Amino acid sequence: MGDIRQSLLPRDVLSAAKELLYHLDIYICNLVQSGRQPPQVDSKTQELVEEFILHAPKDRNTPARRMSAIQELQLLEIMCSCFQEQSRDTVRQLMFSALFSLQGNQADESRMALLGKLVSMAIAFGRVPILECAASWLQRTHRVYCVRLAQVLVDDYCSMVPGSGPTLQNIHSASPRFCCQFITAVTTLYDLTTEELTPPLELLQMIVSWIQDDPRLVLINFLNTPLSGNQPISSLDVTPLGGLMRWCVKAPLAYRRDKKQALTNGTTESEPEVGPLFSALHLSVLQVLMLLPNILNEKGLFGRLALLQMECLASLSSDLSRLLDQADKHTHASSADSRVLSQLALERLAQALQVAMANGALLCSREDLRTICSRLPHNNLLQLVLSGPVMYYNNIHTPPLAFSPHAAHSPIASHPTHPAHTPLPTHPSSHPQYPTQPFMTGMPFPFRPSH
Amino acid sequence: MLKDQTMSVVLDGSPLKAMQSSHTHSQQTALSAQELSQEIKSFISGVDTVQGRKLSVREHARCAVRLLRSVPACRGAVLEHLRGVYDEHVSAFLHNLETESEASSGVSANLEDIIQEVHGVLSEFIRLNPRAWAPLVSAWAVDLLGQLSSKHAGRRVAPHSSSLNELLQLWMSCAATRSLMEAYSQCLAAMLAWCPDACVDALLDTSVQHSPHFDWVVAHIGSAFPGTIISRVLACGLKDFCAHGAKDTGLMVMGVDKGSRVPKIGSVVGILGHLAVHHSDSIRKELLRMFQESLSPSSPLSPTSSSTSWESSPQLRRAAVPFLLQLAAMSPNLFGAVSAELVELLRPPILLQLQALLQGIPREELDNMLGLAVHLISQSPSGGSRVLRFLADTATPASVIISGPTPSPHEGVREGCDRLLQMLLLHLHKLVFNRSEGAEVNSHRSASSQPQRVIPFLEELQAHVGELCAETLRLERKRHLWLHQLLCLLSVYGGPSVATEALCQLLTQAHNPEELALAWQLHTTLSSCMAGLIPAAVARCVAQIHTHTLGPRQLRQLLLNMATAIQSQDEERRGAAGVQSSMAIQVGSAVSGHLHDFGPLLLHGDPAVSHAAVRLLSCSPLPRTSSPAHLLLLSRAAVTHFFLALRRRGEVGKLGRDAGQAGEAVNCSVLLLSRFAAYSPLTLKAVLQQLVEGALHRGNASLFGGQIADMSGAPLPQIPPVSPDIGASLLDINCRFGTTVNFSGSVWSVFHAGVIGKGLKVRTDTPLPDPSGVMQNVQTLLAVVVQCCSSSGLNGSRPPSYPDEPLPINAEAAKVVAVTIVENVCPDVANGELSWPPEEHARTTVERDIHIRRCFEAHPVLFPLLQVVAAGRPALCYCSAVLRGLLATLLAHWESSREVLSTDSPWHLQASCLLVSCMGEGQLLPPVLANVHEAFPHLTPFEVRLLLLAVWEFVRGNGPMPQKFVFSSEKGLFCRDFSRDGDVARYVAPIHSVLHKNIDRLGHLCWRFQL
Repeated sequence: MGDIRQSLLPRDVLSAAKELLYHLDIYICNLVQSGRQPPQVDSKTQELVEEFILHAPKDRNTPARRMSAIQELQLLEIMCSCFQEQSRDTVRQLMFSALFSLQGNQADESRMALLGKLVSMAIAFGRVPILECAASWLQRTHRVYCVRLAQVLVDDYCSMVPGSGPTLQNIHSASPRFCCQFITAVTTLYDLTTEELTPPLELLQMIVSWIQDDPRLVLINFLNTPLSGNQPISSLDVTPLGGLMRWCVKAPLAYRRDKKQALTNGTTESEPEVGPLFSALHLSVLQVLMLLPNILNEKGLFGRLALLQMECLASLSSDLSRLLDQADKHTHASSADSRVLSQLALERLAQALQVAMANGALLCSREDLRTICSRLPHNNLLQLVLSGPVMYYNNIHTPPLAFSPHAAHSPIASHPTHPAHTPLPTHPSSHPQYPTQPFMTGMPFPFRPSH
Repeated sequence: MLKDQTMSVVLDGSPLKAMQSSHTHSQQTALSAQELSQEIKSFISGVDTVQGRKLSVREHARCAVRLLRSVPACRGAVLEHLRGVYDEHVSAFLHNLETESEASSGVSANLEDIIQEVHGVLSEFIRLNPRAWAPLVSAWAVDLLGQLSSKHAGRRVAPHSSSLNELLQLWMSCAATRSLMEAYSQCLAAMLAWCPDACVDALLDTSVQHSPHFDWVVAHIGSAFPGTIISRVLACGLKDFCAHGAKDTGLMVMGVDKGSRVPKIGSVVGILGHLAVHHSDSIRKELLRMFQESLSPSSPLSPTSSSTSWESSPQLRRAAVPFLLQLAAMSPNLFGAVSAELVELLRPPILLQLQALLQGIPREELDNMLGLAVHLISQSPSGGSRVLRFLADTATPASVIISGPTPSPHEGVREGCDRLLQMLLLHLHKLVFNRSEGAEVNSHRSASSQPQRVIPFLEELQAHVGELCAETLRLERKRHLWLHQLLCLLSVYGGPSVATEALCQLLTQAHNPEELALAWQLHTTLSSCMAGLIPAAVARCVAQIHTHTLGPRQLRQLLLNMATAIQSQDEERRGAAGVQSSMAIQVGSAVSGHLHDFGPLLLHGDPAVSHAAVRLLSCSPLPRTSSPAHLLLLSRAAVTHFFLALRRRGEVGKLGRDAGQAGEAVNCSVLLLSRFAAYSPLTLKAVLQQLVEGALHRGNASLFGGQIADMSGAPLPQIPPVSPDIGASLLDINCRFGTTVNFSGSVWSVFHAGVIGKGLKVRTDTPLPDPSGVMQNVQTLLAVVVQCCSSSGLNGSRPPSYPDEPLPINAEAAKVVAVTIVENVCPDVANGELSWPPEEHARTTVERDIHIRRCFEAHPVLFPLLQVVAAGRPALCYCSAVLRGLLATLLAHWESSREVLSTDSPWHLQASCLLVSCMGEGQLLPPVLANVHEAFPHLTPFEVRLLLLAVWEFVRGNGPMPQKFVFSSEKGLFCRDFSRDGDVARYVAPIHSVLHKNIDRLGHLCWRFQL
């Protein structure tokens, strides 16, 4: 493959790139047919790709050749059709990774730029194969780069070009896998810490509608991925559950801060309220969590695989306490309003914790939870969740093994503890006649997973 | 045509735009993925994929816009494509302008609506999401603008890049460029909020790349966003300067342009220069702010400084001062804006900070900065005097004696300023002298060579020569040396006019010889390159006097200074003759040319001034030639001053400084008069005449012991002298015609010694003035008259054989005195012939004679004057009428006197004695007759009459004719030989008989009457 360099050099930028793509296609086909395991593109070819497609400067002496934007567009178009027309999945995947797998060199920047444009175009033109390839790429790649890709897409479709949102909306039907990964990346990107890191409204609406339409979308990646255990370090989470939970919990406080800034700035835009959106999202998250026991059981992973990481929760808790401190400091005037919002955040956290624990998404003891949540202000529901099922202690006198960290290592022990939660469901609904109790918000709380 | 076009391309046609965008919007939603991929294929290939035909430019552009709206990833390519569309439109536009044909306007019109569409889409995008689009579009627009303007700069219709306004007009009338400009403005407005540095950086970069064709863009943008652009441009420039300045330490020195090495600073200067036209105020504020900020102690956590501002970086702070200097050096506009207020800012605390800052800079760089600063100061068009004062104030060493307006500055600061000032002087010196050399060369080559190099600093200081001189004259150590040097430079630079002004100011303002010496030093320096400086300076001083711009004190000082200058000549003559003497001579001759201008000052109301004037005049040489009118005026003034001085001397008394001054004034006046009288016959005549007239004037009579009584024997007009009825009508007077005719002197005249029945007229007794003062005055007057008369102006000068011996009285001068006396004492010309009638005929002239006698009574000074006249033989002949009249009244008195002794009527006795002795001195009488007065006091009135009668008879017999006098060359005098006259013995008989009668008392006198 390396011998074609001499023939590529005299050509102009675009045709050289086209030629190389053509040769790459043939080369990979041959590679796959030869059946060598694992099919690996050699470094010579990588260098060619970097030189003629990504136009990374080969060395200091030769100035990098650059494509004009129109040439680049042509190349992208050719790539699109190339991936589209490739019938064999393996070849396509190999080709994609030959082009876009990060190599840790200076070509990565142009690689990311090209990838962003390619995926963006694929979304516009509905090129499913490319999206599938991109989904795999997102799974393999370090989360920093995934976040960058997501950022490019969000910029393109949610801020740059007005009215292009619906195009992005379509990825849900075009490639659920990509969609799921996209959500994960987006929730990782937007952690609601600053104004820049708050998701655009359009994106939020999109995600809520996706999950409402099909809660299993969130888990699709988890379902389709064989848990090989060779998940690359610091890649994206398998599911966006942690990120979504963070959104829901922090939203009341984060958006209130935004609103306050908007008010002080004197701009009173009548944006649609995000509150209901996050409520719906929260509900969907809880529903998804409740789907988990069946799936985990099917896979035989209940109590063994924590879809929600403890570190994630810890950071959420500390973020939340910081936000609440800030809220206390800055809003003395509208204290009533702010207290309601703070309580809402705490309650969402409590609900999510309880449901996650109950459905095996979170594997920890209540003792751990208490340490994590020790800095949070008082909330009745949270208090209740942290203190655990009192009835259980009274009646059975055995510690809740299922939530001990030891349980995570003994899959067999988790099964008998599962029904231990059954006394709880009756708890909130048993006193509907006492509206004064703050933790009984009157909301029906379906603890029992719908089998 | 152009107008119509521009009108049709108004880009803010919002309804159209809205329609367009809504149209495309709806279109976009309808596009499926399939259609989109068709679209992109069409866009890439330029061929309609459905119909298989080539797309027109217009359709292609539409397609691009559709993609821009629907496929975000395409934006780069679309914008790139649109560059071509814009370019095409500009080409067509210019082509249209060049051909001026209406036919092809359709093409550009087509493209215009596309451009409008694109603009609509872009501005909508920017409006909806400025953060995403503004950087993108601004970069694109600026780059494209730069490309378009430099690409089409060479077109025939494109105006030259230097004519910014025409360029602006042309490009703003082109739809494409205007659209780009508007888009960029929109972006900038959006971006200023959050990343102003970036967009200004891009602007500057492009400006550098496409300069000067891009300047119109910067100008337009700058005037749209002055407030922010200015500070940003400065900040960018500073950063760039810092980055480049670190590499090459050599700053720009002495105007050598280093702009190519610091690329951005050129643009910064250009932009600010353009903005300075309308926003100089904000630019000044910004520059000064930068200066202050850079000096104020760094506070890392200052709340005001934003994260991107330069204040937070110590390196940038250090570079700020050099940067500002550099800016100022490159743009006179900016420098002019700042320089005025900068000096105000430089208070001691700021100076300390500045010093602290500059200490951190390497020596070489510091020298360069100093050079730059010096260069700037020398080029500063305004505020130079303030700068100079600041420098001098600061650089003047602290002293116990002199406390300046500012408290003594830090020693280091002072040294710095000292150094700066010295370098400035050196630099100016070089400039001034190189300049004049160059000018000479030029003048040799051609008359129409380029004008001499202007040094704005000196140019401006020219208006402040007066203040500079005043400062210099304060003689503070060091400071006056600097200033004096500067004055020299200024004079050389400004040419004769400034030099004259400076010299004139020094002459006016100096208060003592040391200060005056500065003027001579200045002159010495300048005399080598300038001629006729002193005459010009004196002429200028005279002009000042004429315009009354000087107060009395200054005027006095000026006159005294000039006098001192002239007098130094005499001193120098005695001592070693130096440069100064030649200069003193020059001053003298210059002053002598303006004597008539100084003359009126003798009569200045302020005695100090008149005193100064007389000092000046008395010591200044007299001009070679002068017009009679001037001379007469001057003599009149001098004589008047003389009497004024006498009066003043009498008034101030004998003690104190005033007395000394008054005495000196009189002396000066005497000196002046005598010198003046010696100048020419005309002046001699005038002076003498006026002196005598003045002495006899009513107002001055008291000076010489005169009584201002009703001295005229003539009938006064019937209107009472102190009549309140000043407005007496002419009719009244005419009705009393007969009484108003003056019959005096005729037989019909009437005595007015009183009214019958009321006794004699009462003589008003005025208190006699101080006799010693009178004596002194008379002496002074006589001294003047004698000096005037004896000065060798008239006849051939004969140096006296002995220096001690007084010069003989000049006959002509004496004649002038005589004639004047006659004119004043004897009002009637009738019977005015020299020869005497018989004594009896005296009755016909009684009235006149009485008048003459009264005159002598009223003016005792007349006798001494007569004596002077007598000394100048034969002048006394001309006084014949007066003598005759006086003698006649005396005869009448002695005849009618019933006293026992002549001493009983003392005045008449004295008058008789004086008269006879005078006539003897004047050789109207032979010695025998002249001696008779010695006997008068011992005789009776009758006997006196007898003797006087003998005198009369002699004169009648031997008329007092000047022609009887012969000039004797050995004596130098005219003498009369009495032997030619008839026998004297005839007249001596009465004398002898009187002698005989009184031989007991007159025995000792007998020998006096021997023939």
